[in-house]
Amino acid sequence: MLTYTARRLGLGVAIILVAMAILFSMIYLIPGDPASVALGPKATPEMIAHLRERMGLDQPVWRQFVNFVGSTLRGDLGEEALSGRPVLTVVMEQLPFTLALVFCGILWSVALGVPLGCIAAVRRGGFVDRVIGVLSVAVIAVPSFVIAIYALLIFAVRLQWLPAIGAGEPGSIASQLKHLILPSLAVGLGWVGYIARMVRASMLETLEAGHIRTARAFGLPERWIVYTYALRIAILPTVTLLGVGIGHMLSSSVFAEIVFARPGIGKLVYEAISTRNYPVVTGAVLVTTTFFVFVNVLADLVIGLLDPRVRASFN
Amino acid sequence: MTKTRPNSFAVNRRQLFAGAGALGLSALVFPRGAGAATGGILRVRSYSDLQILDPAFMLAAPELDIMNCIYTKLVAPKAGDVWGWEPSAVESIEQLDPLTVAFKLKDQLGFTDGYGQLTADDVKFSIERIADPASESAYAGDWATLKEVEVKDTLSGLIHLNAPFAPLWTSTLPSSSGIIVSRKAVTELGGKITTKPVAQSGPYILKEWLPKQKTILVRNPDWKYEQGAYDEIHITPIEDEKTAELGFEAGDLDYTWTSVSSISRLKETPPPEATVVEKPSLAFVWMGLNKDVAPFDNPNIRRAVQYAIDTKAVVDAAYYGAAATSTGIIAPGLPGHRDACIYTYDPDKARELLAQEGAEGLTITLEILNKTERLTAAQVIQANLADVGITCEIKQHDSGTFWTLGSKDGDTWNKLQMYISRFSMQPDPSWATAWFTTEQVGIWNWERFSDAEFDELNAKGQVELDVAARDTIYKRMQDIMEESGQYVFLTHEVVGVEYRNSVVPALQPNAMPLLSDFKPA
Repeated sequence: MLTYTARRLGLGVAIILVAMAILFSMIYLIPGDPASVALGPKATPEMIAHLRERMGLDQPVWRQFVNFVGSTLRGDLGEEALSGRPVLTVVMEQLPFTLALVFCGILWSVALGVPLGCIAAVRRGGFVDRVIGVLSVAVIAVPSFVIAIYALLIFAVRLQWLPAIGAGEPGSIASQLKHLILPSLAVGLGWVGYIARMVRASMLETLEAGHIRTARAFGLPERWIVYTYALRIAILPTVTLLGVGIGHMLSSSVFAEIVFARPGIGKLVYEAISTRNYPVVTGAVLVTTTFFVFVNVLADLVIGLLDPRVRASFN
Repeated sequence: MTKTRPNSFAVNRRQLFAGAGALGLSALVFPRGAGAATGGILRVRSYSDLQILDPAFMLAAPELDIMNCIYTKLVAPKAGDVWGWEPSAVESIEQLDPLTVAFKLKDQLGFTDGYGQLTADDVKFSIERIADPASESAYAGDWATLKEVEVKDTLSGLIHLNAPFAPLWTSTLPSSSGIIVSRKAVTELGGKITTKPVAQSGPYILKEWLPKQKTILVRNPDWKYEQGAYDEIHITPIEDEKTAELGFEAGDLDYTWTSVSSISRLKETPPPEATVVEKPSLAFVWMGLNKDVAPFDNPNIRRAVQYAIDTKAVVDAAYYGAAATSTGIIAPGLPGHRDACIYTYDPDKARELLAQEGAEGLTITLEILNKTERLTAAQVIQANLADVGITCEIKQHDSGTFWTLGSKDGDTWNKLQMYISRFSMQPDPSWATAWFTTEQVGIWNWERFSDAEFDELNAKGQVELDVAARDTIYKRMQDIMEESGQYVFLTHEVVGVEYRNSVVPALQPNAMPLLSDFKPA
């Protein structure tokens, strides 16, 4: 297990480094001068040159990358050029909002997807299975921003049950949760379909397994067999899927954060790219990439822990 | 007084369960209309979050909206349909002669955080730091002819100019360049205020800034003059106008700008208990032709393009019939506004000129910002040009790329043929013309337009105080621009605003809000 863990962690670090190198190369290939964009139309060429120097943009790209990696290892992601605020602070202010959104999105997808998948598997080939199948594919097919806009129009504008914009009153957990319902539904609904399909397929395979037949032969209640014995095994592929799903939901959060005017990492990066605010772009992407890799390593470790065959394959 | 909340989402387990319970029992059951009453809170939308609260280094208009509430200035812009100003921090202010302004401050103005009374020395510091090239303030030009500010006593002083300066009363003193900050506080901060203002002095003070989420202003308890009408003003940054409109319709906002495309719909069927108004804008939108790049190095081809464009069709399509065409870069209501363009839509003349130059079958590129109305405008222009035999390719750019296309520092200016742009404006014509001088070639003058008479008139217009004479100067300058063939003037746009009937907004003629003057109905 130790070798397995070390390998997964090593791979995670390598992924982060490669992702940052690609990002760094990409943002310097994008046309547009961050100093001009930041200072606006009234800035003189001297001011622009001065800001470029302060941002380190007058140095070769390779040196900027080396400086970035060096300072990152020291825990310093740099400063925003104009406000002078530490990038780490800027990113960490926004991260909890995105994590809350993604976490609630996962809750939606698991809370709805797993039972639907189980029901579809148990009622295999029947009317309920077909309805769940159609619904699953339908929610996968509809883009999350479409769901976001319709949810907003129906529940916020038309019915006025839920708020349309913002993240809720600071310090009021009820208000913040209320502001999370629609955005997290928009982010998580598509994954209800994925998880339902995945759980159904996995359950069908598991329900044919020998130990399930044995349990049935012992006369255990079917509900007990399905939800206790079969689901425990069938859920494993879903854990892996959720690891990938978190990355996807982080991407979807951009739409949700813009449509619902919520703070968050997605909106922060979107705005930072528009304004060529490179320190914030690199800082935010580094944090989210690290988070994504961490979650996937964690998912791998959980599977390794649950399934000795996976551990054995690495040993 | 100011604090930021690095992680306002932090909750403990008890709060989480309590909140979930509350959510289950109340939030999902009860419609939120009942809980949406504003009370003493005004909820407004800004199009961006604040980045800096220093008048010398302001980056965007929403920062000025906040600074207008938390700082004072000698004179303030007036709400209404006519541009004007009114005394604010002064008991009296008077232009003694073209080079001297005398002022006397009110005696009960003070700074928060223990920074004491607002004095004439603070006025001197605030103005001179903007004018000082060493400060690298982008607004130094607002005090281009400042000689010095002389302090007479604690509350009185004289502003001395080296030359008369016409924009002084229109776009310098009533704008961010007229805001007074505390010498002591700014010096202690190292010369620059960031996002945490100290020594606030306006009718409201900034209580809390939640980045990307909300800025909360509260009444300044030490303000001795007419109090702000609301207990709190909550400013929510929402970049997307459509999102803001939905937020307004859902009852989450009391005031917002709307998108141009929604104005007609909202005016016909406004949200319940709300008013929608349309205001003219000072901004100007035009199509520029770069004379240093073929084929626009040929004046007749430039003229042919001017004749080829049906500006009314372009503006009607791009702004859903809500905006009018413009006659230049200076909006109606300002000195220098022209009654009509010289070269108007005449496709036959365009074809004739193109044939004369042997330029049939020309292919050119039109570069635009990736905004809906620009794309629509570009598509109509493309159709107009196709009608006279010119193939036009449209290239869209994001803002970061677009705003560097004509820069002399890059390598795109010598490929840039034609582009659509928009500049915002202050209520003085000098703000419109300043970007098109020879000095600005490769900076903001991407047409690379250069004319000695234009440059001379631009300098003259800044020091001419007679309104009629300025009117003549700026009209002539726009004539010169149009004669060059490098400009097709499109529109000044239009601004849509919606607000609850429970609010009486204070808006400048171009719909810029004066939040501290908003009142409940």
